[in-house]
Amino acid sequence: MSFASGPASLPNLSPGELRRFGRHLVLPEFGLEAQRRLKAGSVLLIGLGGLGSPSALYLAAAGVGRIGLVDADVVEETNLQRQIVHGHSTLGHLKTESAAARMRDLNPDLRIERHDVRLNIDNAIDLISQYDVILDGTDNFPTRYLVNDVCVKLGKPNVYGGVLRFDGQLSVFDARHGPCYRCLFPEPPPLEFAPNCAEAGVLGVLPGVIGALQATEAIKLLSGIGTPMIGRMLVYDGLDLSFDTLQIAKAHDCPICSKAAKDIVLQETVMVCAAPVGRSISPGALQARLKEDKELLVVDVRNPSEWAAGRIVGAQGWPKPELESALLQSGAPPLPKDRDIVLVCQSGMRSQAVIRSLVAAGYDSGRLYNLEKGMAAWPGDVQPPDT
Amino acid sequence: MAVLKVPSSLRRYTNQQSRLDLSASTIQEALDHFSASSAELRNHLFSGATLRKFVVICKNGQDIRLLDGLSTPLDSADEVQIFASVAGG
Repeated sequence: MSFASGPASLPNLSPGELRRFGRHLVLPEFGLEAQRRLKAGSVLLIGLGGLGSPSALYLAAAGVGRIGLVDADVVEETNLQRQIVHGHSTLGHLKTESAAARMRDLNPDLRIERHDVRLNIDNAIDLISQYDVILDGTDNFPTRYLVNDVCVKLGKPNVYGGVLRFDGQLSVFDARHGPCYRCLFPEPPPLEFAPNCAEAGVLGVLPGVIGALQATEAIKLLSGIGTPMIGRMLVYDGLDLSFDTLQIAKAHDCPICSKAAKDIVLQETVMVCAAPVGRSISPGALQARLKEDKELLVVDVRNPSEWAAGRIVGAQGWPKPELESALLQSGAPPLPKDRDIVLVCQSGMRSQAVIRSLVAAGYDSGRLYNLEKGMAAWPGDVQPPDT
Repeated sequence: MAVLKVPSSLRRYTNQQSRLDLSASTIQEALDHFSASSAELRNHLFSGATLRKFVVICKNGQDIRLLDGLSTPLDSADEVQIFASVAGG
């Protein structure tokens, strides 16, 4: 499968390009024609984070002719643990600007098109229609479903990668020849089952592994070599260092790819919580109770790094992973069962998930309270982290 | 016994073990056995009796939706894999 027409219509390589890409040209399976196909081809990189970084570098270095970059964020220091296309010198710059400069340094002949926007329902068809191959390096479920739905509607291959903690996934979704993303995952998880990398963590090199594999698949699709990962999902386990290739199925009742393109209507994917467990408490009500109820226990389940901005005065720190692990151990319960407990996180999502775990471990849901909207909405006093 | 490969996100339920030996004759039995120790784990995998729509189960590398779903038979040489959608990028 490739996107350019016959060899006669492919662009020629300049003497400089013949030198630069010599290591490709000597590969018998690749050669001059595949390199010319890369030069004729185009890729849209959606997201210039952990996955988009290595993809951008390798696609630029490989000689893809035209690359579109979609991202509206600026480079932050916390990105640099894994987003290797950026650097200290570009902190505060738009990611598209930062990545484009590095990519041009690798390959000055490359045509880069910057789209300093978030992909959304209004711009997705226009952006995706301009490119041959789409590379999904996004970091949230609503955008992943939007990328999928537009790719199905327009008949574009979607080179998918996903990472969290130590695990990665890779596939090529092309509904013309196999399943789409919604065939595999018809709905996103409820919010409390869907932590992002900031909440759950990610080993910095993990998106490097998966992003480089996404670039490999994009190069294969453009050049027409090899067998793309259509109908297969690669599952990478960084702790065991294992790769499993799994056969995945096209769903005949898929809500998107079972329809004709003209009948696919784009819709915003809304993330919702499962039915809440326990009780909720507003910031104002908690402030009032803290003044009169000295037995009330407040437990902050955020990560220690998040406590740096301070926490509610008197709150105990119990990071969610440690508290949930403690609940699975035999022995004394980690928190008392005979007191009212208010669970606190940044937005109210993780604390709701912890309440679910506490109830599953035998705590009385009537004595567990979730602080509405978490510390993001807390108007009261906070204590510094070291007091 | 069949072997269940546990993704890192679920290893806190298995004392960090990445592989479990399970005595089970179907995928349903294997998952029931796996999730018996934790209501929270059960809730992660199932909504009532239905497998959640962001969880995929494979037997020997094949999506069980291509086989007999949760009724897919298992024998001692089989390997069961679990993976769930992840959004991180």
